[in-house]
Amino acid sequence: MSGARYAFILAGGMGSRLCLLSERRAKPAVPFGGKYRIIDFTLSNCVNSGIDDIGMLTQYRPTSLHEHIGTGRPWDLDRSRGGIQILQPSLGTVRSDWYHGTADAIFRNLVHLRRRRIEEVLVLSGDHVYKMDYNVLYAFHAASGAGATVAVTEVPEHAVSGFGILEADPTGRVTGFQEKPRRASSRLASMGVYLFDRDCLIRWLVEDAELSISSHDFGKDLLPRLVARGEPVYAYRFPDYWQDVGTLDSYYESNLAFLAMPPPLNLDDPDWVIHTQSADRPPVRFEHGARVERSMIANGCVVQGRVERSVLFPGVTVSRGAEVLDSIVMHDTFVGPGGRLDRAIVDKDVIIAEGARVGTGDGSIPNRACPEHLSSGLVVIGKGARLPAGLTVGRNARIGAFVTADRFTDAVPAGGVVDGPEPMH
Amino acid sequence: MRQVMALVLAGGGSERLSVLTAERAVSAVPFGGKYRVIDFVLSNCCHSEIRQVGILVQHAPTSLHDHIGAGRPWDLDHRGGGLMVLQPYLTRSHAGWYHGPADAIAQNWDLIEEHTPERLLVLSGDHVYRMDYRALLRAHVESGAGATVAVTRVPPEQSRRFGMATVERDGRLTALEEKPEQARTPFANMGVYVFEPAVLGERIRERPMDIVLDVLRPMLAAGVRVHAYAFEGYWEDVGTVGSYFRANLEAVGPDPRLVLHDPAWPLLTRDEERPPVMLGGHAVVEDGLVANGCRVDGTVRRAVLFPGVHVAAGAEVEDAVVMQDTRIEAGARVHHAILDKCVQVGERAIVGWGEVPAGPEHAWLEGLTLIGKDATITPGARIGRAAIVGIGAGAADLPGGELVAGAVTGNRPWYEGVV
Repeated sequence: MSGARYAFILAGGMGSRLCLLSERRAKPAVPFGGKYRIIDFTLSNCVNSGIDDIGMLTQYRPTSLHEHIGTGRPWDLDRSRGGIQILQPSLGTVRSDWYHGTADAIFRNLVHLRRRRIEEVLVLSGDHVYKMDYNVLYAFHAASGAGATVAVTEVPEHAVSGFGILEADPTGRVTGFQEKPRRASSRLASMGVYLFDRDCLIRWLVEDAELSISSHDFGKDLLPRLVARGEPVYAYRFPDYWQDVGTLDSYYESNLAFLAMPPPLNLDDPDWVIHTQSADRPPVRFEHGARVERSMIANGCVVQGRVERSVLFPGVTVSRGAEVLDSIVMHDTFVGPGGRLDRAIVDKDVIIAEGARVGTGDGSIPNRACPEHLSSGLVVIGKGARLPAGLTVGRNARIGAFVTADRFTDAVPAGGVVDGPEPMH
Repeated sequence: MRQVMALVLAGGGSERLSVLTAERAVSAVPFGGKYRVIDFVLSNCCHSEIRQVGILVQHAPTSLHDHIGAGRPWDLDHRGGGLMVLQPYLTRSHAGWYHGPADAIAQNWDLIEEHTPERLLVLSGDHVYRMDYRALLRAHVESGAGATVAVTRVPPEQSRRFGMATVERDGRLTALEEKPEQARTPFANMGVYVFEPAVLGERIRERPMDIVLDVLRPMLAAGVRVHAYAFEGYWEDVGTVGSYFRANLEAVGPDPRLVLHDPAWPLLTRDEERPPVMLGGHAVVEDGLVANGCRVDGTVRRAVLFPGVHVAAGAEVEDAVVMQDTRIEAGARVHHAILDKCVQVGERAIVGWGEVPAGPEHAWLEGLTLIGKDATITPGARIGRAAIVGIGAGAADLPGGELVAGAVTGNRPWYEGVV
């Protein structure tokens, strides 16, 4: 194993099944766990594993990700050498174009390997929640003599169609690789964590780039092709918690899972701190008459009303007589006096005016616009929306970002949709 | 404000804060659920655009050094050096402990002059307030005074705690009286001063020790124009147990005069990365300030909890300040107490038990029980009101599992278990 390490993080994902939450931000920038963003887990894994030289590939709506990463200071990645570098699609390079797939994105950035004295290249996805010491992966990789090692986790049988599924022999050597199969004999899912021998990676990517039939994606073509022709690809079985917060339902469930004791993943481990960009906020202020139960509440919140089984991000205000039940409420959202949230995911900077009630009535009518993503009874409210006083919003409704109060003429029915202004771009 | 240098006096370790300042300066005492006392002054400097700050340290400065580091949270880590920590030093000709705040400034006078500041702002690091020093500095410049003293109104019965300033209608300050029994003026000296460097320099040559006695009074005697600047906001000197406790609890009451939540004037500190507050299924939290990293399964009322405090199921914390990483185990009760960091309160133990002891010798504690850092209160033990458990104390210091009201145990060195 060589001393120097380098990681690419693929952070360009659209996360289209996250609906409104990723409408205006890349999936890695989606808030998670009461104060974090999804990318924080991967970045913290890197620095906690001693990897402080990172290229982060962005493409889809990178602004909020850029803002979050800044100079990389919270992760101690604001370094003179190494640190974090944003690798955006660009013009004027060998091939000027958008990234067309995960393998293509790395191919276009191979130049970053040119002068780095490394023997392996770590390729990570910025979309997942997990704590992993990548040193263990490096050790496994070195011991197996693999050209590529894919970290895998066991998923339930009904879920295999959502993942790249690998078959491996008892030594870990991968014998089969299918992307999102309808049925599979194996339940080992790729975690989107790959460790490559540097020269193998360069060779394979150059070869893949010339194949016109390839979609230039690691999971879809490159790895299955390598496995099929007998290249030494190994699977490393990761035993701990790993979560792909791909859908609204899984986003909701996996956030609320952190209210259990013990939580699925210890956020309070001084030896494995999950670093994030935090603004200066005072401690949580619980006022007279506050009622709280099984919740996670971040600094900067003010609680005057009732909060049960919910996750409040920094700066949320729950006014007197207001109730927040089984909900996820992001930064600086204001719930006015007597307001009520029940099974809602509310993005940042939303105002729920006095007495407005979100999540009422029948849960069986799926959302009119996206029935496939929004049918379990959740309500989703986009960033910056303004809900007028006394409004009621039925279950499975979707309120778009920056909807103004005058857009509501009547109660929003179950499965209803109120769209906000189109983004300028 | 580029030509203003602030000098923060942070060298003091108040006897009156007992175990809380046995191993740290008053300025470094934790405050308000995640801050240290000095954060108020440093945040004031940052928001007032003061870019050069000297911090004068002497008493137990380690935790202050730790906290301040390179000054990053207050944007003092800029090119050109925003932050200077000025500690006592030896030279070939003298050994220079600081013999008072004015002496501390005098011993660093060469360095201060080298920076050629246009104005000197002299501050105490022990005070809790939010103040825009730019307004003070403007008033000072407009008045043409050689020195300006910020003053605040206090009720007459409080004058014994303060230096009181006599102020004329035109804003001139004519007399300064230290801790008078009878107040002749409503204005207390806040320990916030602006000096013209040349005017202060003249006094510095006389080797002063105290700022009021050896600097300001001689200035008045010499006919230097000294002005007062009346400050209207909340201001508290937290150098006593009672004032420290009340100032903390002020932040949890309704309509607090001390606002920690102002986005336009955020209180800046060196933050630790801790997860959000976790509240269990039977948690009760009311009138409380609870910081990230805390876990509450029990009951918390009128209390300030710093990062990483755990209150187990069935435990009760009321009218208390509980610092970082202290654990209150199941069924324990903590009332009218200040618990320093990393304290273990065992199951069913009681802190703040029984009656407040009579006798004037206990009055300074105002009925509050103090627990020094790293102390272990054994399960079932009872610690009386106004008792003091020393730093690192354990079972051996609590014979019979009891410490009566007003009793005191000694501090133990942290390495006791090693040697």
